[in-house]
Amino acid sequence: MFKSFFTLMLVTIFCNLVSANEPQVIYPFEDSVHEERFLSLLNELRCPKCQGSNLAGSNAPIANDLKREVYGLVKSGKTEEEVKAYLVDRYGNFIVYDPPFRPDTYALWFGPLFIFLITLSLILVILLTRFSNSKRNQ
Amino acid sequence: MKRILNSMPLVAFGILVAVLYSFLNQENEQLESVLVDQSVPEFKLPSLENPNNILSKSSVNKLPALINVWATWCIACRVEHPFLMQLKNESTLTVYGLNYKDDRNKALELLANDGNPFEFSIFDQQGKLAIDLGVYGAPETFFVDINGIIRERHVGALTQKVWKEKFERLLNEETDV
Repeated sequence: MFKSFFTLMLVTIFCNLVSANEPQVIYPFEDSVHEERFLSLLNELRCPKCQGSNLAGSNAPIANDLKREVYGLVKSGKTEEEVKAYLVDRYGNFIVYDPPFRPDTYALWFGPLFIFLITLSLILVILLTRFSNSKRNQ
Repeated sequence: MKRILNSMPLVAFGILVAVLYSFLNQENEQLESVLVDQSVPEFKLPSLENPNNILSKSSVNKLPALINVWATWCIACRVEHPFLMQLKNESTLTVYGLNYKDDRNKALELLANDGNPFEFSIFDQQGKLAIDLGVYGAPETFFVDINGIIRERHVGALTQKVWKEKFERLLNEETDV
């Protein structure tokens, strides 16, 4: 009894998973090199609407349009660089996750280094105080 | 010294909260357009009003002008519609529509019911010209100067406030010359 209930539950879950992914368009390729290039581009390009995800992970209308555009470009024999340049010309560096180096993006570029240096100096200070304290106690 | 050190995590946390909080109310939806200071892209698309009338870049010839990306499925487009009507009636500026991934009959019906602020609308069902313009969501509005160069782009509803902040200055520049 319990077992059959469990099976039914699993079946229900999987049915839902399948239907949730339903509106996927198939992009057929004859050339496997092209297909690989297409798939890797979808992973590397960012969706302009839902800015947290890449094209592969988004089902937004604009993401689907861009997928179709990339599909057409790759099928016509464009290289990865050419496709990226094409999209950067229209959507900016944003779409290839490549922020420009400008005063308003300095925090982005130097932030990690800054935090690293602060953390490093804090650790040093803490270690040094402990060291001198233990020396004093001896 | 020790007290200062012990309070460091709290201070760091406080700074983090302050920084993240300051991002909360920021409008980061606006991506800057690479099309600014570029010419309007070439296109060949039918007009919304007449499928046999093929429009191109040279059809956009009453400059300066706005190109407004709109659709009937787009709610914010309805919000800005009255303002576009007001522009049409009160300003010298031409407004061209780019009907974006829409149903032709629905679009025509909306213009018939609510008024048509556009000189004409380009019917871009596949979103081809929209991709060339770097459009990522309707409504979007582009300002095209007298030389056919895009000077400004706004994503989201065009309101009186946005008009004053981003576009009015450009129109004044054009008419002063």
